Amino acid sequence: MNKRAYNLAYFLKESKTLFKIDFLSNIFSIISIGLILFILSLVLLGWRVSSYVIQIVEREGEINVYYDLSLQEKDINYLMEDIEKIEGVSSTSLVSQDEAYNRMAEILGKEAGILELFDENPFTPFIEVKIHIEEVDSILDELESMLGIDYIRDNKNIIDRLQNILIILKVLGVLALVAIGVSTLIVVSHIIRQGIYNNRDQINTLELLGAPDIFIGFPFILEGVFLTLLGGVIAFILLKLVLGLGYSKFFTALPFLPLPAEESLLIPIGIFILLLSGLLGIIGSLFGLAKDNEKA
Amino acid sequence: MIVAKDVSLTYQDGTQALKDVNLRIKAGEIIYITGPSGSGKTSLLKLILGMEYPTEGHLRVMGQSMVKDEEDNIRKLRRKIGPVFQEFKLIRGRTAFENIVLGMRFLDFTPKEIIENSYMALERVGLKHKRDSLVDKLSWGESQRVAIARAIARKPSLILADEPTGNLDLDNALNIMDILTSLRDENTTVIITTHATHLIEDKEEGTFIRIQEGRLKMERRGVEAYE
Repeated sequence: MNKRAYNLAYFLKESKTLFKIDFLSNIFSIISIGLILFILSLVLLGWRVSSYVIQIVEREGEINVYYDLSLQEKDINYLMEDIEKIEGVSSTSLVSQDEAYNRMAEILGKEAGILELFDENPFTPFIEVKIHIEEVDSILDELESMLGIDYIRDNKNIIDRLQNILIILKVLGVLALVAIGVSTLIVVSHIIRQGIYNNRDQINTLELLGAPDIFIGFPFILEGVFLTLLGGVIAFILLKLVLGLGYSKFFTALPFLPLPAEESLLIPIGIFILLLSGLLGIIGSLFGLAKDNEKA
Repeated sequence: MIVAKDVSLTYQDGTQALKDVNLRIKAGEIIYITGPSGSGKTSLLKLILGMEYPTEGHLRVMGQSMVKDEEDNIRKLRRKIGPVFQEFKLIRGRTAFENIVLGMRFLDFTPKEIIENSYMALERVGLKHKRDSLVDKLSWGESQRVAIARAIARKPSLILADEPTGNLDLDNALNIMDILTSLRDENTTVIITTHATHLIEDKEEGTFIRIQEGRLKMERRGVEAYE
């Protein structure tokens, strides 16, 4: 057998022994780490969802132009031609009163019955203008100077608000990442130091026999990685449950929200949380070992 | 192998354990260190193993200067030493075999050599039948022999045995002395401390060091007396 594989079996056995020595506090640590990482995964989830929504809203850059209802069909066609000439406009199309009603009925889905409360179709026809979102300001300026237009509805406000939310989420994400990183490092390094304290006789003997630090410390590093990885798995499971619940209950009630597929959220966030948990385990263990060396 | 020049050791509480020790030990020698309890025998071994550092003078072990700044190299030096501690320092919760193997995992042995050496060492100390016994369950004498097996399985250049016969009956003590002295045939330097002078009185060969109040008095017998 290869010497590394031979020693790896020993390291795994040793880390299992270390885990058993402080079994209960290790279990509590795994749960704490799991919950901490779960909070981080929720922040990341919010971050990703809002980024996606902004991307979709930006891609679907459109302006609804409500014209003077007294305009004749010919005037409406001239108006549409004029709008198409504006720089940054890619196309225009007329949405009739009936089509506007059908679109809303489609959006409301099961709740579309609410529209039946109206005696008449409450919607008005409009011109749907597809635009390049970066040109929105100049397009709005030109539209406002045109005759025959009553009201213009754009999604600039929505984008601006979403972008503000995204900035807040990004800041929260970074803060959460730092807070979670520090608290996980403290938990792990404390556990490792406790393990070192419980095994100080064994460590002392190995040092006297000439064992290198890496040989002595490796089981402790494995233990730390094991603790945080299990915490990461707990966070992943909780995230999966929350996402499943969210998609089946909450998001179906808001069908007009453009949301990414469940897997496209779960997999990258899950992988990130697992990788982060492993990394925090290594750093936390090294920190615990380093602090112990300083003490010695 | 070991050169000490005017070495003194004073502990932090002010106790002077060794004073002006001058010593030159060659490879393959066998050294018996005797003296009453607290005379400085264990302190001398601690200096050689790098558990303590001389407060005065110079000590070199296998060419390595024993100073605090050289801690990393001293750790490496320990890999060439087979220590047998007075209190055994076996790892609890592990079997006799696991203890021996653990002392070799980080040395330049293949897994096959580690297993073979461990078996041979256990056989040599007469404990092959106890290989799977937890060291926590072994008697004093058996634990001592496992500690010796751990030291000799490492095929060290130097064996340091601190009171290896302490608390053992005469038969067991003689048996352990025989095992340790036999290592000399493998060109291993062996240093044994003991307060049981009756165990070494009839030895015809070796270097005999008596320590009293931290000072050494040396006598060489047999081949060593003429070298």
